[in-house]
Amino acid sequence: MKRIFGVALGVLTAIGGFVDIGDLVTNAVVGSRFGLGLAWVVLVGVVGICVYAQMSGRVAAVSGRATFEIIRERLGPRAGLANLAASFLINLLTVTAEIGGVALALQLATSVDPRLWVPVAAFAVWIVIWRVRFELLENVTGLLGLTLIVFAVALFLLSPDWGSLAGQALQPGAPADEAATTYWFFAIALFGAAMTPYEVFFFSSGAIEERWTEDDLAKSRLNVFVGFPLGGILSIAIAGCAAVVLLPASIDVTSLSQVVLPVAEAGGKVALSFAIVGILAATFGAALETTLSSGYTLAQYFGWSWGKFRRPAKAARFHLAMIICVLVAVAILSTGVDPIVITEYSVVFSAVALPLTYLPILIIANDREYMGDQVNGRGMNFIGSVYLVIIIAAAVAAIPLLIVTGAGA
Amino acid sequence: MNPRPQPLGRVLDAHLHILDRQVLDRDGVPVTTADDLELEGIEMGVPIDPEAPPPFVSAILTGPDLATRIFGGRPPVSRRMVIPWRLVTEVGTTIRLGVSGDALDATWVERWVGDHIIGRIPGGRHDPD
Amino acid sequence: MILTDLLGSDAVDADGTRLGCVVDVRLEIAGAPGQLLAATIVTGILVSPRSRSSTWGYERRGAQGPFLIARLQRWLHRGMFLVTWEDVARADEGVVRLREGCAHLDPRLPEGHRSR
Repeated sequence: MKRIFGVALGVLTAIGGFVDIGDLVTNAVVGSRFGLGLAWVVLVGVVGICVYAQMSGRVAAVSGRATFEIIRERLGPRAGLANLAASFLINLLTVTAEIGGVALALQLATSVDPRLWVPVAAFAVWIVIWRVRFELLENVTGLLGLTLIVFAVALFLLSPDWGSLAGQALQPGAPADEAATTYWFFAIALFGAAMTPYEVFFFSSGAIEERWTEDDLAKSRLNVFVGFPLGGILSIAIAGCAAVVLLPASIDVTSLSQVVLPVAEAGGKVALSFAIVGILAATFGAALETTLSSGYTLAQYFGWSWGKFRRPAKAARFHLAMIICVLVAVAILSTGVDPIVITEYSVVFSAVALPLTYLPILIIANDREYMGDQVNGRGMNFIGSVYLVIIIAAAVAAIPLLIVTGAGA
Repeated sequence: MNPRPQPLGRVLDAHLHILDRQVLDRDGVPVTTADDLELEGIEMGVPIDPEAPPPFVSAILTGPDLATRIFGGRPPVSRRMVIPWRLVTEVGTTIRLGVSGDALDATWVERWVGDHIIGRIPGGRHDPD
Repeated sequence: MILTDLLGSDAVDADGTRLGCVVDVRLEIAGAPGQLLAATIVTGILVSPRSRSSTWGYERRGAQGPFLIARLQRWLHRGMFLVTWEDVARADEGVVRLREGCAHLDPRLPEGHRSR
């Protein structure tokens, strides 16, 4: 049993990265418009995040330093500040979207107006961060979030034409009624979602919260290689369900109810309740992950005391920063803006944050002063460098594509 | 290139190894980042006496410099908080001090926020469950 | 004097020719024994003719990966050299003057120990 919970950090990190509210909807949108034609992007993204999360987990375990401290030390104060600004804005937008997403999931369950749920959701997120032990937090949300597996079950129950699904996946390219630029915009959005910086910030800070040391390297690898592929599978399952049910019927995905439609069709009310529990847990988990990441990045850049393992009064600025984040998120949501739309624009800030996050990780993973004998091998350096090129290309193309396609309209 | 003279102790570079590194106190609690260093034994514009002993590091400087980080320049020394170098026990991937953070001026903001804001919220002073 | 006053200054030799930029200050923890740590003394400055600042140190350390980044960094900071403190004549605002006939030494750091 302990072994299962031992991978909770990896699973929770992956949930926040692959199936948070923005990705839940994006995966369904992609499935309803492109079928499984973008599944290869999820695969590329999963490998990429595994490579880099593994590196940053190793750095945290061996040297005791979390990722954003490394970023400050290697990039220097100015470039580090640029990364901080971009990452912080991504976090803030995502926190806002996730708290809104929790409210939307509660609406799905209770049919009560989501704006009434927002303060409840925000308070719940804060109280868990304030009082609940880190291990308990990750175990419960990680485990409950896995109920999203119901999407994979639903996909089987729908008895799809596996041949045509495989055909879509293996012939990447825009279908006749979609522009190539839109196809590539969604490709970059999915790739950026798989490799969002807050995943490595959370994973490496979580490693320090859990007091991993050089003896825990095997555990770190297990977390990475179980958690992120699982997240990828969930992503593809959601897209697959949309491909089978929504694509042929040309149903547009505009809200959570379309996202769960295939599950309801496949397994009725029972399956639907699993899906709602899963969505609730996943968005709540993502809210926790991104709120904590806001605290981690600010505290690590400025050198403040941080960590849930400390008494709040001893990590005062860390907790204060997170309280302010949650309050700002509630303020933004009270203007009535659609939380899902918000996440589409965080891809802009990802464009800046992605290369500035991953380059320092690659550099530090090679530094003997920090890593001793645990420096990267040749193979890891090669694949890390290849991904760095992909990341820079995605970062450069993101904003022009966002503008040209009108965020994939 | 001529070979360098043999060192007597640990050799390091100020910008590479000290600046922007984390400063931890005796218990491993983060104090601040090392933003600058104060060097004693050298003056601006004064010719250096070849017989004089070499200058040494006298303090770590830290402080509110967000605006200068963005736009350039440096805040005056009087606005900077000083951590005397004699409190340092180790210089590695972090800089460790031999005293508790509470004893330093440099932690006054953290203590203030802890006492007046976070400490006042119920549960703020409890150890985590 | 403040460290960042020295960093970024021009380094000129006795004739006034600009040799490069002061990118770092070399220290040694080997002075008079103190209570917790021996005194940290300045033993030299690092001058780079082609760059203004070097924060990764690939040109001062032995073999380090990743390969392409290491090559690029060493090329960007090529020609960097160490000047011992005895060869520094004076430090003015933005300019550091070196003595006549100062030796340009290998900038590489001795193989260090790893510490946490």
